[in-house]
Amino acid sequence: MVWLSGMALCLSLTIILSLIGVVLWNGFRTFWPAPIHLVTLRDGSTFLGMPVRSEAYESEPARVEALRKTDIEGALTTDGRVIRTLYRVGNKEILGEPFRWVDAGDIASIDLPPHAVLVERLQWGPWIGQPGAIVSVEEVVIGADEPLVGTTDTEHGSRRFERAELNEAGGGGPRRVRQTTFVCEGPEETLRAFGPAHVAAVARRTHIERLKEEDVGVINRELTALQNGVRLAELRHAEGAITEADFGAIRASSEQRAGELRAGFSTIMERVRRLEAEDAMHRWIVTDPGTQRFAPISQSEPGSPMLLSQVVRCVPANDIGVVGKVRVYLARWWEFLTDGPRETNTEGGIMPVIFGTVAMTLLLCVLVVPMGVVAALYLREYARQGWVVSAVRVAVNNLAGVPSIVYGVFGLGFFCYSVGSWVDRGPQAPLSPQSWWGIVGLTVVLAAASIVLGLVAKIRPLRPDSAIKMLGRFLSLLGWLGVIVGVGVLVVRLPYFHGFFRERPAATFGTPGVLWASLTLALLTLPVVIVSTEEAISAVPRSLREGSYGCGASKWQTIRRVVLPRAAPGIMTGMILAMARGAGEVAPLMLVGAVKLASELPFEASFPWLHLERSFMHLGFHIFDLGFQSPDSEGARPLVWTTTFILMSVVVTLNITAIGLRARLRRRFGGGHF
Amino acid sequence: MVSQVQHRPIIGVSPDGTISGRSQGAGGSVRPLTGSEYGAIQAIRANRPFRAAIHDEVMAASAVLEVSDFELYYGAAKALHAISMPVPRGKVTALVGPSGCGKSTLLRSINRLNDLIDGVRIEGDMRLNGESVYSPYVDVIDLRKRMGMVFQKSNPFPMSIFENVVYALRIDGENRKSLLKETCERALRAAALWDEVKDRLHESALGMSGGQQQRLCIARAIAAEPEVLLMDEPCSALDPIATLRIEEFIHEIRGRLTVVIVTHNMQQAARVSDFTAFMYLGRLVEYGPTATIFQNPRLKETEDYVRGRFG
Ligand SMILES: Nc1ncnc2c1ncn2[C@@H]1O[C@H](COP(=O)(O)OP(=O)(O)O)[C@@H](O)[C@H]1O
Ligand SMILES: [Mg+2]
Repeated sequence: MVWLSGMALCLSLTIILSLIGVVLWNGFRTFWPAPIHLVTLRDGSTFLGMPVRSEAYESEPARVEALRKTDIEGALTTDGRVIRTLYRVGNKEILGEPFRWVDAGDIASIDLPPHAVLVERLQWGPWIGQPGAIVSVEEVVIGADEPLVGTTDTEHGSRRFERAELNEAGGGGPRRVRQTTFVCEGPEETLRAFGPAHVAAVARRTHIERLKEEDVGVINRELTALQNGVRLAELRHAEGAITEADFGAIRASSEQRAGELRAGFSTIMERVRRLEAEDAMHRWIVTDPGTQRFAPISQSEPGSPMLLSQVVRCVPANDIGVVGKVRVYLARWWEFLTDGPRETNTEGGIMPVIFGTVAMTLLLCVLVVPMGVVAALYLREYARQGWVVSAVRVAVNNLAGVPSIVYGVFGLGFFCYSVGSWVDRGPQAPLSPQSWWGIVGLTVVLAAASIVLGLVAKIRPLRPDSAIKMLGRFLSLLGWLGVIVGVGVLVVRLPYFHGFFRERPAATFGTPGVLWASLTLALLTLPVVIVSTEEAISAVPRSLREGSYGCGASKWQTIRRVVLPRAAPGIMTGMILAMARGAGEVAPLMLVGAVKLASELPFEASFPWLHLERSFMHLGFHIFDLGFQSPDSEGARPLVWTTTFILMSVVVTLNITAIGLRARLRRRFGGGHF
Repeated sequence: MVSQVQHRPIIGVSPDGTISGRSQGAGGSVRPLTGSEYGAIQAIRANRPFRAAIHDEVMAASAVLEVSDFELYYGAAKALHAISMPVPRGKVTALVGPSGCGKSTLLRSINRLNDLIDGVRIEGDMRLNGESVYSPYVDVIDLRKRMGMVFQKSNPFPMSIFENVVYALRIDGENRKSLLKETCERALRAAALWDEVKDRLHESALGMSGGQQQRLCIARAIAAEPEVLLMDEPCSALDPIATLRIEEFIHEIRGRLTVVIVTHNMQQAARVSDFTAFMYLGRLVEYGPTATIFQNPRLKETEDYVRGRFG
């Protein structure tokens, strides 16, 4: 038996360790720059590519036979399977597929060409090629007799230029041409000049982005607020809450303000256009040796070279040594951890995803701990221990076994659609004011009656167990239940409430969001917290409680001052378990708030800072999305590992923090010291 | 301070536990007892009606607490049988008797801690200063505030030393810093703990030694100036030095506070108490001035018990 259990333990440890090992190995490998091969095939064609992995596969017998005859070394395995290598070739615009399988038997030679570069681009994935030149492209008008090729003198010396006609102008007169001036030529020169030119281009791009996103964003937000204000005024006017004149005034003033804003918007856009025009001048030519075509500015303009500002990073993988590779590796990690995603999440970073996960998990803790502790306190301390409480306890434990997607459906239906839409637009079926006030009256009467009946139980000259007191207590309990129901109805069908966001055209809280996701996961993890809290509470020594009662403390004082502090480490354990479970949950999140791409974080630098109604990105969902929904599954695969590694790190970090906190609590409140 | 205890006239018990100075008996030699001499115990064992031997000195003293025909059941099991006894004001009363005879139960009945146990039923009553303890109209919390209790196992709360001591005031809503500080110092001084902890009042109470923890519990019990201090074997988990400290404390407060102390240690009962009550199987057997109980008890079984011959 010892052997059996020991082996079982070893087995599970091995499985876990190898899982962690695989995740670590693959997660850390992702960003290491691979060499760039110039592959020449037997049919004479060539291409540039980065080897990803090799494998052997079963091919048709004729092919195997042919390969066997050629006697190429390494084309076949000993058992007759064909060896092939997967190359990342990039250049999606001209090659279509960014990956390519090549049989070893088809390869004539593999070289490591100097100066070959991997260009990570903002769009359309990587480009692999040979840098040719840095150029300056502009449209100019030239005289009829000026040449289409030639040299021009600049402050840096004489530069070659080429010109292309833009309009089919017949005859003489001035012509519009696109002039490409070669700032520097040749791979070495180009690579040397690329660094500083790229830094300047990135600065320009950042400037343009800031103008577009921040400055324009501020204007857009204010415009939306104005629009919403007018809509609200319109609604209130229709209800008769404000006069025609007031409505007119609001509309006029907001139109005036909108005019100002639009003027500001035009100014900014004018600046953006100027910057973009300047940006459009600075380009470079990186040529794919197989097709002799260079990386284009866009798929629709194959004849126009790409902008320098479209480059994220240029890696001359064969020229840089280990130090250079480490720098590229670290830079890629930094980008991954601090940037937002690009290209349907297959490139860029996952900062918003990490942020969303951490925010949701913390919010989950904030919500689940009070709920769980209150419930456990009631079950353990206040409820009379009997079959009812046992049944409740069993039910709570079984809640933990409900498939999590069910919680997702519940969260979507209850939180998003019912509670959320109530918050947004008020009750769907409000009562008429008369019946509402009628219910208010009833509830008040009921509450008064319950108070009076409750007082009966306190009459001194009667014994505590007399029938009248029991009856009074029971009726008062019923009364309070009625009051709760009444207040519920009053809130749900309040005729005077029209929601906090009724003027917004789209739902605000009435859609999936981080608050609802946290609440849903809080329900999901509630049993864990309840069970651990109950255990922690019942583990508080009887002697401590008796000591407190002996000092004349009431029950609540004993619980608050002695039982809860002493149980705090146990409650923290519950929280840690809830956190671990919640952070790894994906299925319900897909329904109640996690999205593929969230344009905004649930947090902002300006008032009101927190936007808990916004949907968010989540590491678990991100992994699912990368792994199964990505258009470029081969390219996304390494990121799946890296993201998995990040998710594990986030969960572990959160847990370690909580465990550290618990250790501190233990030292303060925990067991003895002998 | 140690010498103070030793200089006090010790009532017939030498440190090694033998009882000396007996005038009764043949030349001080221990006489074997025959069964017929144990009338009381036979009566108790046979569950026959039985009257406790209560000495006149007890009845003469003014009582702070009056127990009258008090009976207590744990479910169906009867743990206390018609106990009637006064507790003299400002004196130290020791409850002795073999394990399971109901000493703790009786003590915990005084501040109604037994209310917390499911299935406990009582008959009879107690009166604290003439007011009923068990009347249905009594505010139990108020009652407990008038008593302090020290338990067999020290039970410091999970908070700082300072907060432990002023706990009873805190739950009364007392928040004046100066008053709390004053109370804390006074209680800690009374429990002879002040000098040891005055520099770490705001550290956790759980970092103290066992003896310190028990003295802290004593300080906590007397901080709110109770009328009665109930101590349930306060020294049974402590080493001799710590025990000595607590006995010194009892000497210190003698006369100012009524103390009811349960103890298993006959020498301790002899050293610290003014009156001693001997209990057996849930009944009070003999109750009188400590000197008399130890030197010249009325009943043979008391004599045997205090001399360590049974129990
Ligand atoms: N909580 C309880 N439930 C049931 N029986 C109890 C409980 N506490 C004590 N008893 C019983 O009451 C009797 C007296 O116990 P106790 O007062 O603790 O004795 P002592 O303190 O003198 O050793 C014992 O027989 C014991 O078994
Ligand atoms: Mg006991």
